[in-house]
Amino acid sequence: MPIRIDEKNLKKGVLGLVVALVEIITELLEKQAILRIENESLNDEEIERLGEALADLNEALETIKADNNIEDTVESVRCGLDEVVDDVVDKLMNPSRWAKEVEKHDRNRPCEIPLLDS
Amino acid sequence: MTEIDHARYLYLIANTEEEQSLGDIGLGDRPVYTIVFQDIAAVVHASKSEPVPAKSEEQAEQWILNHNYVIDKATENFNTVLPFSFGCLARGDDEAIKRWLQKNYSLYKRELERLKNSAEYSIQIFYDPGVLEKQVLKTIPELEEIDQKMKAMPKGKAYIFKKKFELGLKQAVSDHLASMGREFDKLIKKNATQTIVEEKIPYVPEKYAGKKVMVAFSCLVAKDNAERLGQSLETINKREGFAVRFTGPWAPFNFVDLGNIENDT
Repeated sequence: MPIRIDEKNLKKGVLGLVVALVEIITELLEKQAILRIENESLNDEEIERLGEALADLNEALETIKADNNIEDTVESVRCGLDEVVDDVVDKLMNPSRWAKEVEKHDRNRPCEIPLLDS
Repeated sequence: MTEIDHARYLYLIANTEEEQSLGDIGLGDRPVYTIVFQDIAAVVHASKSEPVPAKSEEQAEQWILNHNYVIDKATENFNTVLPFSFGCLARGDDEAIKRWLQKNYSLYKRELERLKNSAEYSIQIFYDPGVLEKQVLKTIPELEEIDQKMKAMPKGKAYIFKKKFELGLKQAVSDHLASMGREFDKLIKKNATQTIVEEKIPYVPEKYAGKKVMVAFSCLVAKDNAERLGQSLETINKREGFAVRFTGPWAPFNFVDLGNIENDT
């Protein structure tokens, strides 16, 4: 079966994914900056330079999102990634979930009520 | 019923010894009736063996409503029922259904007894992030201090401190919600026999737009406890920044445990 690709949707999807990933990296950089300020490893001039760079990056991302109308796509990618990460962390922290997953999988196996076919 | 009605559409299993008609209330106004084995019965309508797809979305919606109406009506008549999901069709005539009930009798009877005088309720707790942020901000002077200082900072520094403020506030709201969650959980579990946390909420009424979902449960509640549970939820609903949606009673769709039928038969 041929795979149909809508070029507009593909562009939105890929751009949305890239912007979402850059946003996540930016947030990590912001957290690092806050930690460094709290550890007093940055002077006032460095804080100002770092802050301006992060603010400019944030502004650029907002402009890209608005110009390409991908706000919802980015939000959706980020929600999806959040769910995946939550799920992985939850499974790592609670091994009892593995047993439940297996049980759920077994239950969802399609089965017929035997007598009804007789 | 016609010669071609070689299947039975299944609505539920109920506690009754009586063969009876529930009227023309089934999907497409089909006559609904009970097929009894000893003191339990399947509530069905006679159907063709092959599933007939709905002609339109409206018809599909109407059939789903019909399906739930039969379950509600049967719950009124027979008290506890074991409901089937929409669209369960069993091949065979009344005798085949009777043999099936006979084969699984102990399993169905056990579940009917376990769920006797209980019903399923749905609870959704929402919160208003804006209200909670204001409440939390008042209790953390450090955050208020950052908020004040930011106004006098140069652009770059103010940006980083704004992020620090936002992260601090988000964490504080999250801690507040976790603590409220533990309190609400105790209130709900006190009056519920079983609870299941719903991971996804398919429908949120317009009334709650702008609010965020804190938690959603399906609860199995004994009829004697339903009013007390309602009162507990009312106390949560009255708290500033929170709202509760409490619906039911429903047939216990989420709490019927038939294990693996193949192993039990």
